[in-house]
Amino acid sequence: MDNQTKVLKYLISIEKLAEEIITDKREIVLLDKRRNQNREALRDINKACQTKCWVTVGSVLVKHNLSDTVALLEADQKQLNIDINKLRSNLKIKVNDLRDLEMQPPVPGSMLVPLSDKESEGLSNVGLFST
Amino acid sequence: MASLAAAQVQEVRSITRIERIGAHSHIRGLGLDDALEPRAVSQGMVGQKMARKAAGVVLQMIREGKIAGRAVLLAGQPGTGKTAIAMGLAQALGPDTPFTSMAGSEIYSLEMSKTEALTQAIRKSIGIRIKEESEIIEGEVVEVIVERAAGGGGARTGRLTLKTTDMETNYDMGTKMIDSLLKEKVQAGDVITIDKATGKINKLGRSFARARDYDATGQQARFVQCPEGELQKRKEVVHTVTLHEVDVINSRTHGFLALFSGDTGEIKSEVREQISGKLQEWREEGKAEMIPGVLFIDEAHMLDIECFSFLNRALESETAPVVMMATNRGITRIRGTDYRSPHGIPLDLLDRMIIVPTAPYTHQELREILNIRCEEEDCQMSADALTVLTRVATETSLRYAIQLITTASLVAKRRKAAEVSMEDVKKVYSLFLDEHRSEQFLKEYQDEFMFNDAAGDAPQLMEVTQ
Repeated sequence: MDNQTKVLKYLISIEKLAEEIITDKREIVLLDKRRNQNREALRDINKACQTKCWVTVGSVLVKHNLSDTVALLEADQKQLNIDINKLRSNLKIKVNDLRDLEMQPPVPGSMLVPLSDKESEGLSNVGLFST
Repeated sequence: MASLAAAQVQEVRSITRIERIGAHSHIRGLGLDDALEPRAVSQGMVGQKMARKAAGVVLQMIREGKIAGRAVLLAGQPGTGKTAIAMGLAQALGPDTPFTSMAGSEIYSLEMSKTEALTQAIRKSIGIRIKEESEIIEGEVVEVIVERAAGGGGARTGRLTLKTTDMETNYDMGTKMIDSLLKEKVQAGDVITIDKATGKINKLGRSFARARDYDATGQQARFVQCPEGELQKRKEVVHTVTLHEVDVINSRTHGFLALFSGDTGEIKSEVREQISGKLQEWREEGKAEMIPGVLFIDEAHMLDIECFSFLNRALESETAPVVMMATNRGITRIRGTDYRSPHGIPLDLLDRMIIVPTAPYTHQELREILNIRCEEEDCQMSADALTVLTRVATETSLRYAIQLITTASLVAKRRKAAEVSMEDVKKVYSLFLDEHRSEQFLKEYQDEFMFNDAAGDAPQLMEVTQ
């Protein structure tokens, strides 16, 4: 009986973590979708020659000042970038935790700090990185 | 495409298999279970349980990164599976851990000094893991629109629509991006990646959804799935390279191609020092991980005293691999000196080593090994032929018996028989002499050979000479 509860607990912890990972991935996709929409909007505002534009807030359409809208969108973009990066970094930790629960070794090299752009460019120029 | 490539690789492999079969080609691992207990017959390994278990413990220590800077000595009579155990260890370590195999006598034939050859071998056995990270935009092209401004020649503007299974978006493009898109001949239906930092466009292939667009496609047409998830992805690639590769690339006189030709020559010690320094820096910043690999030196008694003392010193270094040696010598002279020592290895180095002995195979194990080799060489052998062969192996040597497999199967083929019979084995046994019979023959007819030495002390000459 004791054994059974232990197994159940173990399975629950795995399922919980796996579910979290899936949700996070979904979240990143949604955030990126919004990021791209904002980017398109910013581009269109740049091209537009009016001084006001329509903004949707939930299901309400609001007529808003152009410069204010740009400021709003840019602030949103910044926050989105931060959120996405945070989710991505946490995702790596969660995946390694899950692998740990499943008695698998962590993904090799996942926790390394990436090389700087210059370093990796240099190394790939001399052909050390084949791909 | 991936499956196609795999099929091609398979084909290439099978061709090489037909051409030649190595002496240890049947080894696929150490044949241990999860608790490191050796299975009787597994992954091409037979018997030698103690040695295999010891190798398993060493393997575990290597995996945990604990045994760097140590040495292991496999000692045993000829034909007791020392090289097989080393090969099994290499296979069990996996492709990510560097494993360098060299013969002791190799250092004398290279066009470089002995210590240079050893240093290169040591640095070939140390891997470093580094990570490359880039932000890319990956998606299937829905539409490319390029508009030329009126008046001709003027600035062009363009719009690129990309999608994944989850989203779709537009990108406005400037002249440069348009040019590189046109250069790559990107059209609707292609799956592409764009590097955010450099703007480099990479065509991955065409989307499966567009597979039926044309009836005739070029050979290069490669179909891929429409990417999933977000458009702007973070791509992380972990590379594992050996220190030696980095050395060669940074040594200006040679360049990258030297890696393929193997003609690396000597590498200046300043280059090595610089690289070690950089690596140390990277490790402190968390940019690189070191993977100590395994350097396997077969016939280690062929190394001389200089090499041994060099190795002794090299093992002290912080960046040292696990050095594994194999020897079939007993108490013999250390090459380069007049002193005698166990295994022909100086006592101070021997003191640093874990010694794993291998014992001669039993009758049953020999039979099992011969059976495995028959399978490996695609040779059907009848049970009584195998029994005869096993007896041959016990009385002469395992290597001789294994050579008889190939020759006997050729004799059987001449007879157009599907199976090798006892008679075939007996025939090749009489055709090809083993070492003992050959020696007997020589002793008997010594006078009729040229330059004969009446003393007949051939076995003594076997010992290592200067």
